[in-house]
Amino acid sequence: MDDAGENGHGCYTEHGVSGYGVAIKLSHDQTMDEAWIKSMAEEMMVRVADLCMEHGANAIGHIKAHVRTSAGTVKADTIGTSHGAYSQGTISQPVHELYMAVNSIVQGIKEHVVAEATLDGIHQVAEERGLHVIKEKEHTYFDEFDFVKSDEEFRREFQEQLEKSEG
Amino acid sequence: MKITQIAGFLGCGKTTLLLRLSDELAEGGKTKVALVVNEIGEIPVDGKVIEESGMRVKDIGGGCICCEVASTFAKTVYSLYKDFSPDHVLVEPTGVAVPKQVKQAAAMSGRDADIVLGPAVVLFDATRPAELLDMDMLGRLVVTQVKDADIITISKADIAEEADMAMAEEKVRELNPRAEIFRVSSFTGLGFEHLKQDILDWKEGA
Repeated sequence: MDDAGENGHGCYTEHGVSGYGVAIKLSHDQTMDEAWIKSMAEEMMVRVADLCMEHGANAIGHIKAHVRTSAGTVKADTIGTSHGAYSQGTISQPVHELYMAVNSIVQGIKEHVVAEATLDGIHQVAEERGLHVIKEKEHTYFDEFDFVKSDEEFRREFQEQLEKSEG
Repeated sequence: MKITQIAGFLGCGKTTLLLRLSDELAEGGKTKVALVVNEIGEIPVDGKVIEESGMRVKDIGGGCICCEVASTFAKTVYSLYKDFSPDHVLVEPTGVAVPKQVKQAAAMSGRDADIVLGPAVVLFDATRPAELLDMDMLGRLVVTQVKDADIITISKADIAEEADMAMAEEKVRELNPRAEIFRVSSFTGLGFEHLKQDILDWKEGA
């Protein structure tokens, strides 16, 4: 049972499904609270889905985003424009910056078209919402960015260090 | 080590169900549960979200575990067995994976690891039954997924219309009369005790 290799021709290709992922770092001059971030992320998911359909997609598998800030994380997704978008997660305090990974899985259009629709959707909503795109990298996760640990993560690691040194 | 897959088409709620189910199976740490998540689309959004829940998770990218990276899946299962020895491994294949092939790939890891196969649980999204089965090319895939299932859960029961849920149940029963079919909601917990018990009791081939 050998892997088919790196040609990207798995079952999803046979079914006309294409995927595209991108990581971005965004900032805003004003602080962004949980409600604002959730609403922005949901709007972005629906916009990407809309653009994919406009570009000729037959169906949206899902458009998903993982938003990470120093004060918590949010996950947002849509399974199609008529279904709206959904988000969950907690941002404990307003922030100026956020990291976002977006994954689009769509049926009926090629990967480069999914990429175009995804990037256009992100940029359109970012611009409308007054967000600045600080960094953007395709085909990767924001772990590869210069990410700063969340407060919770920092506290947990600090606590572990204390326990080790005391133990 | 029992390997159970939580399959189903894109957007049917697999990740959300997986998170709640793993928590319930773990029983506050009495049982060791590990997760294997496979995503298409280059970046592991689901894997990262699950990681934040504190669960042991292995992410497989670069293709689908039912075909392209089936051997990577088998190796991942073996490495979990060797390094962590979980009681349960819950596998979330891509939304376009064929459950029967995922089961075959999981069985391959049994050459080196002491495993038993759990059921193929397939989620069917109750908010869009007609859309799922009518989709041009993908309708056939959804039908295949339903036919391969040992257990079919009608997902999103908390938000779906009663008429859609009834239609979903009727359609999937026509396609797969041998599978057990029941409603679940990852938010209210509906059906989770049932699902957990089914997984615990499952004996492949029985």
